[in-house]
Amino acid sequence: MAALGDRIAGAPPRGGLSRWLTAERLAPVVAGLAFLLLWQVYVEARLPDFVATPLGIVQAFPSTLAKARFWSDVAATLGAILEGVFIGSVAGILIGVVMGRVRELNWFLSAYIRALYALPLVALVPIVIIWVGYEPAARMIIVIISAFLPVAVTTADGTRAIAKEYLDVGKMFGARTHHVWFGIALPAALPYIVAGIEMGFARGITNAIAVEVLASINGMGMSVFTQSAELNENASLVYVVCLAVFAVGVRALMIRARRTVAPWYGG
Amino acid sequence: MTAVAAASASLSRRLARLRSVHAGPIRLACYATSLVLLFAAWQAFGDSFGVLFVPFTATVRALWAMLDRGPLLGALWVSGELYLVSLALSIVIGIAIGLALARFRLIAAAFEPYVFILYATPTISLVPFISVICGFGFWPKVLVSVLISIFPILIGVMEGARSIPNQHLDVAAMFGSSEGQLWRDVVVPYVTPHAMTGIKQSIALAMAGTLVGEFFLNPDGLAAVLLEGTTTLDSASVLAVTLFVAAIAVLLVSVGELIERRLLRWRHSAIG
Repeated sequence: MAALGDRIAGAPPRGGLSRWLTAERLAPVVAGLAFLLLWQVYVEARLPDFVATPLGIVQAFPSTLAKARFWSDVAATLGAILEGVFIGSVAGILIGVVMGRVRELNWFLSAYIRALYALPLVALVPIVIIWVGYEPAARMIIVIISAFLPVAVTTADGTRAIAKEYLDVGKMFGARTHHVWFGIALPAALPYIVAGIEMGFARGITNAIAVEVLASINGMGMSVFTQSAELNENASLVYVVCLAVFAVGVRALMIRARRTVAPWYGG
Repeated sequence: MTAVAAASASLSRRLARLRSVHAGPIRLACYATSLVLLFAAWQAFGDSFGVLFVPFTATVRALWAMLDRGPLLGALWVSGELYLVSLALSIVIGIAIGLALARFRLIAAAFEPYVFILYATPTISLVPFISVICGFGFWPKVLVSVLISIFPILIGVMEGARSIPNQHLDVAAMFGSSEGQLWRDVVVPYVTPHAMTGIKQSIALAMAGTLVGEFFLNPDGLAAVLLEGTTTLDSASVLAVTLFVAAIAVLLVSVGELIERRLLRWRHSAIG
């Protein structure tokens, strides 16, 4: 009762709801519902039964989530992504600082890093499969590389672009090389690094799924394809929804992290 | 102790001067040694992993054989068509949607959340659904590739058009610009660099999109050549095609950077 009273007291006295319910707030809901409705009606009217529909996906959720297989898929894929992105990011930060602070090493390594960075990593999957086989290790390697490359590139860019005043002040106070690298350059590059990790996650998620499907490794991406091949389209889309929620959640977290470490960068 | 410190300080100062005076040659030397070291190591260790790995020269021979009368040029043609069509569509549709989202507030409010959700969702996971609805032909592949490559352009154009300073629009309104003149004289020049930054990213992404479309809908083009080598454990041909694809990727990225730099120079000269 008290909570209800508080809520009423806290709400604007009159016209509160209608003022809150502006066209801008309503528009995405209307657009989303219209899209789902159109999808449902179109599939029911024109396409075969097994094609996924929004209602079908909702109904498939409990039965899919009740299976042990679903949770082992989630653990395998998300575990590999988190672990791989962590390893790749740490390695990328270390190599990136070195590349950013020592020009000669940057020149020495940049040809490979830039070439690999330009290359769509799906193209590396076949050779990795040849080397390590149709094993989860292939997924781990690709995820590590997916995170390593953007983090190394952004860390190098960030640690290279430090304001000269910082370095001068550091030198004046007798900073040694490791002070400059990890005390000045690395914190100054934090927003770049977070942007790199954000990109690493995006690529890591995509590439993890790609490896799973190409190398038949058990996981969420593999199940999206096998469920679809067994005409369980709705269950397949349940996996897609979960992957999308994970991807959107990670992106939101990274955007928040970027705002925390570097509020002056905005957006 | 002090003598040693002084000597090391003067040595490091001389080293620093050497590094800055001879930066150009040192740079070239770094590139050269790193490439030579890679190819030497590749050549030296190429044989020690059995069939899994082949020396550099064997890879180049395989590449040459595949280019000469093998499947590579035909595959390149197939992939190239998919690449160009999907890049062109990404540019046209991305700019159109980006401008629409910037210009019409209600449309933006309605669709922006979904644009970002679709951007974050791994497109590969949508492939089975797309193939159920659209089949396995050329256009479903284009759809997959466009979904992968369109967003940098779309978001770049949208944010660019939104950041047009109000003064520009006010001045245009004051001089009685029509909607058409406003677009030609204010919006398009202002948005072009933002679009170009997005296009530069999409030039690289469309290649990933092309390969994903080819890998996961029915295999075709360069992806099919890669997969064939994988199933037969033909590491020479897989390494050769991977190298080939990497060379194309570097070339495309450089072209994108070149276009952007040209455009930026034009923009600076136009302003300054």
